[in-house]
Amino acid sequence: METADLSHHISRRFNEDLERVRSKVLGMGGFVEQQLQKAITALVEGDSSLGEAVAMDDYQVNNMEVSIDDECSRILATRAPAAGDLRVIVAIIKTITDLERIGDEAEKSGYIASRLATMERPADKYREIKHLGRVVSEMVHDALDAFARMDVDSALRVARQDRLVDEEYEAIQRQSITFMMEDPRTIRRALDVMWVVRALERIGDHAKNISEYVIYMVHGKDIRHTSLDDVERELRAGSGTAGVVP
Amino acid sequence: MQPATQMWWFTVGRVLTTVLVGLGAGWLLGNLWTGLACALALHLGWVLANLFRLEWWLRHRNYADPPDVGGVWGEIIAQVVRLHRRKRFHKQRFVQLMRQLQRSTAALPNGVVILNAQREIVWFNRMAGRLLELRSTADLGLRIDNLLRAPEFLRYLARADYSNPVVIRPTMGEDTYLSLQVVPYGDGQLLLLVSDVSRQMRLEAVRRDFVANASHELRSPLTVISGYLETLGHDPALDPEVLGPIAEMRRQAERMTQIIRDLLELSRLEETDEVVGGNPVDVAALLSLLRKDVLARPVHPREVRVRIDSGMQLSGDEPEIHSAFSNLVDNAAKYTPAEGSIEMRWWTDGEGGHFAVTDTGFGIPAEHIPRLTERFYRVDAGRSRATGGSGLGLAIVKHVLQRHGARLEVRSTLGEGSSFTCHFPPERLARPAGAALTTETA
Repeated sequence: METADLSHHISRRFNEDLERVRSKVLGMGGFVEQQLQKAITALVEGDSSLGEAVAMDDYQVNNMEVSIDDECSRILATRAPAAGDLRVIVAIIKTITDLERIGDEAEKSGYIASRLATMERPADKYREIKHLGRVVSEMVHDALDAFARMDVDSALRVARQDRLVDEEYEAIQRQSITFMMEDPRTIRRALDVMWVVRALERIGDHAKNISEYVIYMVHGKDIRHTSLDDVERELRAGSGTAGVVP
Repeated sequence: MQPATQMWWFTVGRVLTTVLVGLGAGWLLGNLWTGLACALALHLGWVLANLFRLEWWLRHRNYADPPDVGGVWGEIIAQVVRLHRRKRFHKQRFVQLMRQLQRSTAALPNGVVILNAQREIVWFNRMAGRLLELRSTADLGLRIDNLLRAPEFLRYLARADYSNPVVIRPTMGEDTYLSLQVVPYGDGQLLLLVSDVSRQMRLEAVRRDFVANASHELRSPLTVISGYLETLGHDPALDPEVLGPIAEMRRQAERMTQIIRDLLELSRLEETDEVVGGNPVDVAALLSLLRKDVLARPVHPREVRVRIDSGMQLSGDEPEIHSAFSNLVDNAAKYTPAEGSIEMRWWTDGEGGHFAVTDTGFGIPAEHIPRLTERFYRVDAGRSRATGGSGLGLAIVKHVLQRHGARLEVRSTLGEGSSFTCHFPPERLARPAGAALTTETA
């Protein structure tokens, strides 16, 4: 396992630095997960103060990103890591960018949720959004778990799930269009809801990105813009020779 | 004679016999030394053969029978067999005990996770695996805070104050609440106890909602009653005899309104979690405001002092801090006679910020002090009703302080007065904006 490799460092301090940064990333992930959860709850339950709280707390995500970024730069400058360690740092720098974007999308959703709370609620009580929200937050959760465990299989599973989110997004969009045609008075609300759905879809993409960084971190393979089936076949075939440093 | 000593004599006898036989044979052959050497060589061969059999058996003792050798060799083998058997017996008992222990901890209705000093997972039972979604063996050695990422739990770990459990809502799972408590033991090792408190939390939510709704529902009829009583009190056509009772009814209606207001505030305080961050509160300005409030009372203590020993501000929720401090000051004013005095003091030190209200009032008997912050708890039922308190003031104070990570200390001597002190942790202190600028330019 990669974690075992990490502990074989000449310098124990370096090892501790790496582990600390990794923990900070996961702590930031935990906060983002909660923000997302709160934003969905705020919309589904029509809790305007919760939505505002999400929008207010986004600055903390930004602070965490800056602080982790600083620490990564410091490690790059002072330790000049190579091979697996370098990949860990690169993956961390990319991951926090995606986490920060997830935070931004959650902030936007929270803000819209607090505005929607004052409007009339639809008959289905945002059931589709609740479901989509659950799928997306599960993806974020699993992607971060895969990051913590360096678990390539789970990461691949998360990446595959993104297609489901895209389908769901299409379905909600079609449904919204029908509603808008039936009753033009709902257009304003439906447009706001579409913003949230769009945000959730984007969060799914970011979760997919994070799981791709996990695969990169463990195997040294950049799987962006390649079909997942190819990736899986290659990883299975070349598991012995995997770990090619870019 | 002991059998062992007997055997040693037997062995020594055997060696002596060998020597004598060798000497005898040598004498017969005419060369004493050759005979002796031959006899000793034979003896040595016998000893070596025994040693070889013993060593071979020790290597293969799991499936080979012990060699049948006489004398001291046989005794040694017997000892080894006995030792071996005893060890196996102890080992079996130990394994059994271990298995029992493991089975009982696995059957515990609560989750248990053992963490080392680096907060890495060393062991966890089945329930912990289920509640925290841990994978057996694969997750051993991983840091717990990498897998359990709820911000509340991370703050709890960072604060390293494990006296109370922390309740988190896992991301996955509808309406699940987990209570986590860390128990440190040994060399910085930690025991993490996990239990599912969803049911308790739901019941608690139902209770809170009930109190909040009931108070809210009671408020509107009470407003109507108060309104009519007020009109009636000013009605000149009314018999003067009923004016007294009407005034009393108005006072009681006002008290009820006060109680309902406090109940609503309490349920609001309970509903939300800890105050994170907050705005800086200017304690000096707040205290001078509270002093004016006391002096505006129809009957107030002669002397009301404010002592500010620190320029630091308190970061928190301003309305809540105001409510807590004013409740404490109100109490002091209520229970201090007109010739007494009250002192409010704000100071900071290494342990954090402190706000104290000291009065020269009646004092509180020691047995009542631990229960003061309970709802509707009364030290002296007759007197406190007459002074018109809701009985919820100190409960509100306690809740506000809890939400700010602070604690309340009560000291009192009967007949001499009481002192209520709020201790705020250092992270709740904030330097005033102006002061920060001057230190930067300096």
